[in-house]
Amino acid sequence: MLAEREEQLEALLVEREVEQFLYYEAELLDNRELHEWFDHVADDINYRMPRRLMRENTASVFSERGYYFNEDYGSLKARVERFDSEYAWAERPPTRTRRYVTNVRVTRDDEALAEDELFVEANLLVYLSRGDSEKHTFFSARREDVLRRRGDTFEIADREIRLDQTVLSTDNISIFL
Amino acid sequence: MAAGDKPSVTEQALQDARDSLDEGFFPLEFFHDENLHDLEMERIFGQAWVFIGHESEIPEPGDYARRYIGDDAFIFVRDESGEVNLLFDSCRHRGAQVCRAEQGNTSHFRCPYHGWTYKNDGDAAGIPQKSKAFKNLDREEYGLAHVPRLETYEGLVFASLAEEGPSFEEWLGDFKWYFDVHMKLPEGGMEVIGEPHRWVIDANWKTIADNFNGDSYHTAWAHGSVLDLELGGEETVGHAGTGDSLDRHIHCDGHTTSMRGFEDEDVFLTYPEGVVEDLFTKEDLSDAQWKLARQALSFTGAIFPNFGFLHFGDTTDDPEKDVAPFFTIRKWRPLGPDKMELWSWGLAPKNAPEEFKERMYKMYTSNFGPTGNFEQDDVPIWKGITESANGQFASSQNLQLNYQMGLEWMSEMELDDEWLGPGFAYSENLEEGGMRLFHEQWYEMLAGNDRTDATGTPMNVQEDQ
Ligand code: FES
Ligand SMILES: [Fe+2]
Repeated sequence: MLAEREEQLEALLVEREVEQFLYYEAELLDNRELHEWFDHVADDINYRMPRRLMRENTASVFSERGYYFNEDYGSLKARVERFDSEYAWAERPPTRTRRYVTNVRVTRDDEALAEDELFVEANLLVYLSRGDSEKHTFFSARREDVLRRRGDTFEIADREIRLDQTVLSTDNISIFL
Repeated sequence: MAAGDKPSVTEQALQDARDSLDEGFFPLEFFHDENLHDLEMERIFGQAWVFIGHESEIPEPGDYARRYIGDDAFIFVRDESGEVNLLFDSCRHRGAQVCRAEQGNTSHFRCPYHGWTYKNDGDAAGIPQKSKAFKNLDREEYGLAHVPRLETYEGLVFASLAEEGPSFEEWLGDFKWYFDVHMKLPEGGMEVIGEPHRWVIDANWKTIADNFNGDSYHTAWAHGSVLDLELGGEETVGHAGTGDSLDRHIHCDGHTTSMRGFEDEDVFLTYPEGVVEDLFTKEDLSDAQWKLARQALSFTGAIFPNFGFLHFGDTTDDPEKDVAPFFTIRKWRPLGPDKMELWSWGLAPKNAPEEFKERMYKMYTSNFGPTGNFEQDDVPIWKGITESANGQFASSQNLQLNYQMGLEWMSEMELDDEWLGPGFAYSENLEEGGMRLFHEQWYEMLAGNDRTDATGTPMNVQEDQ
């Protein structure tokens, strides 16, 4: 009985740690501290955003071949560093964003996971506002991550972003999700 | 138009705009005008050949995709006999739409309103309680309406809302010679990978048309970040009018392409040797077309009015990785004077190894589409032009955009007399004649004239006219 209770407590603590990490990560991205964010990217990362499909009878279908992002460490790094260039016009001035991370769920007993890894699902809502305008838009997505413990923090070992739109309402995607 | 809005463009203003094109000017206000938009929809998009999709997107009987010409929704569908159809998505009973999904596979389309059903070739199949309710209705006359004209070229399907007019082949004219190089170079042709990217942006469609009709001048500046990061070679992304590359702007029967390449070198858009050796074939190409492909490093181009393409070599998604080519085609679909939907497809040689096709698709998304390292920076610029065109100032001051680059008094522009292909090839890529050619055709169609009134002469080099 007590042991069971302790296990639940432990799970709760892990959940809290994960949530705190996701909030911290969201803050880095909202502040456009991209290099600090990239420090939390594992060097074996696969960062994907598949293209959502819209089908007559099935919810939540994604393309097998089509995507917006399918990045490894090197190509994600290049995308981060591109924004250091004074010619990366899309983010000059930076998009004003606010990320809301909710519905966080943590699972550990996936066979594909290593000892120090967690499977984390979450919902993500990003508010975006650009330029000298009152206009704003949103990205809404489900995220599936593999987080790996690194010291007292985490690194993102795998991320799949499942956007809810099939037709985007933004100029581009010049932010990280 | 609401009271207080700026006055609409008049016939006289249109004529003046046409005249000032000869001086290299075009009015800013034309990039945001409700009446012009309506005219464009009627006289250009109601007449022109508009891209629908590639056959490889609907390979099996029953495969369909919802596609648009202007404001009209169609079903692009392969029927049971394997034929490709373009059906107007509106039930012949009382107009409800029968296709709800973006893509799928079905033998029949069912109307949700009263249950009429249609076969995937458009024929009416079922009318509930017909013998009592519609006893004298001839089912054969009540199939979904087919688009008046549909043509396929190398798997690319184009349609026209007009019953009559030039065939697609006539529309494309000698520009086919150039597009053949893209589509026929690999044995087995090109195919679409995945589904098109779609996004709606607050910009007038003519801004992107300008860009794809030979805006070599913007590349190094607007996409300087790509150069900074060494994601693209100097000759692909570098400043127009510089470097050792063979740069040409080609205008041909109203369509344009700009190329960069290297004279007498085996460049082949930096396709890997294996692909070049195993797949590239002279079979369907002339010696001159083969030579063009061999020398080419990159192509950008546009088919009037709303189809664009990029076939680039020498780019990468990571400076540590090898360069690879990509091939992407797109359409811009006007939704209003200040709104369009972009559709963008990634392609690869059909018979290339799967791994290479994936690499090409990766190169496409890294460079273009909503997440492209190039494209991210283009769209906000086009939005800005549209916004500037909107207010009082553009019209009250009669602000003119300057397209004079390449006109004889502005630069040393020559026609390449030895050019190996049809049309006119300009010896430099520092010229904006492709855009003027676009606007000339735009004018002719809006004025109700023949588009080809605009396409017969070189746009630069006055003494040649
Ligand atoms: S509108 Fe389609 S069945 Fe009546
Ligand atoms: Fe561009």
